[in-house]
Amino acid sequence: MPRLPRLTSFGLALALLMGLGCNTPQTTTRRSSLMDYLYPKQQSAPVPNPAGARLKLPLKLGIAFVPGGSSSWRVQNLMAPGQEKPLLDVVKQSFRDKPWVADIKLVPSSYLRSGGGFENMDQLARMYGVDIMALVSVDQIQYTDPRWYSFTYLSVVGAYVLPGDANDTRTLIDAAVYDVASHTFLLRAPGQSQMKGSSTWAHREVQLREHSAKGLQLAMTDLARNLDTEVASFKAEIASGDRKDVDVVDRQGVSLRQSGGKNFGGSFGWIEALGALLILGAALRLRRA
Amino acid sequence: MDPLALTAEALREPWRLWTGHLVHFGWGHAVANLFALLVPALLVPRQDRMRLLALLLLMPPLLSLLLLMDPDLGQYRGASGLACALWAWVGLRLGVRRESTSIGLMMLGGLLLKLGAEAALGGCFLVRPQGWQTLPAAHLWGSMLGLAFAFPVWPRFSHA
Repeated sequence: MPRLPRLTSFGLALALLMGLGCNTPQTTTRRSSLMDYLYPKQQSAPVPNPAGARLKLPLKLGIAFVPGGSSSWRVQNLMAPGQEKPLLDVVKQSFRDKPWVADIKLVPSSYLRSGGGFENMDQLARMYGVDIMALVSVDQIQYTDPRWYSFTYLSVVGAYVLPGDANDTRTLIDAAVYDVASHTFLLRAPGQSQMKGSSTWAHREVQLREHSAKGLQLAMTDLARNLDTEVASFKAEIASGDRKDVDVVDRQGVSLRQSGGKNFGGSFGWIEALGALLILGAALRLRRA
Repeated sequence: MDPLALTAEALREPWRLWTGHLVHFGWGHAVANLFALLVPALLVPRQDRMRLLALLLLMPPLLSLLLLMDPDLGQYRGASGLACALWAWVGLRLGVRRESTSIGLMMLGGLLLKLGAEAALGGCFLVRPQGWQTLPAAHLWGSMLGLAFAFPVWPRFSHA
């Protein structure tokens, strides 16, 4: 019976190779691209309105995750059902009390067509009645590296007991804000996070999913913080005249570019000064009488 | 940045608490505010003149601190907040005296009209300045401060 031991040894060798194969470094990339969405390759990039953007405060802001390419990953597939809204809510909450915001609409990513371009953005803006759109793209990379004692996975028991996988999840979220009417790019802000952990071979996928979700949440919080800073810089740039393609008009109809943004003066108008002098005249007349 | 304008730097450069009310964005701005200051200065009762001078020293820093609570305030210039404070203070002081009740009420009425117009229109009436914007909060805070300094007041109709 010379064939049986040969088969057995072949099977054992195969199992060993498979076991080792499962335990090699792995990298998973999930990405959605703003450029692929707004400027699909088959179209030439539309020229922005040369008149630039004129934003009238308070603004109605729409926010949405950009879909990935048709053949690649889509953001909504990454998230568990119902997870997208809480993530966008992080940004919504941090901007709720800002005086320049009238309303923030969360646009489900399923409404965004892959490679939809500005045409799709305009449709959504009309549908939700928003003035500016914040398009959020995600770039997430997950690394899994075996630790030195991961060879114990070969014992099967080790694969369930020993945390031989080092998992590292890096998330970068980018929000680009566009004026819908003129298609002018207004500002961008990044948000990033890093999650590290160890897992057993059997628990690896569970931990990677958890880290993916948590990483997105942390990056979104970071994004909200950075967006606040970027908005302040954006206002300063307009006030100083560095952004000639954008102007912001406040509730009183005063242009931010003209007012310098933060220069305030206590003032009596000429009509009021005249009224004051009339009161003075009447008072002096009364006093004499 | 103007070294005399009221900015957050006032916490390190305290003179700004006073000088912010003296500097202006232009001659037109300064002259209009001067007219507004002139009225209470001329109408103040004789016995309150020293108090008025004391208030002119005391009220500017208090008003400045109230204005600095606004995080969006980059810089502030102008005497109109102070003028509103004096209109409220002098108006109330005159209003409680029998011989000058009507004058005091005229002043308080005029001030109320200005604050009401600003609240309704969101800015200074018929003013569209270039390079800066009016701050109605300065007028409101100034008026409140003036009224606060005028209290307690007692009608003096019997001592006419």
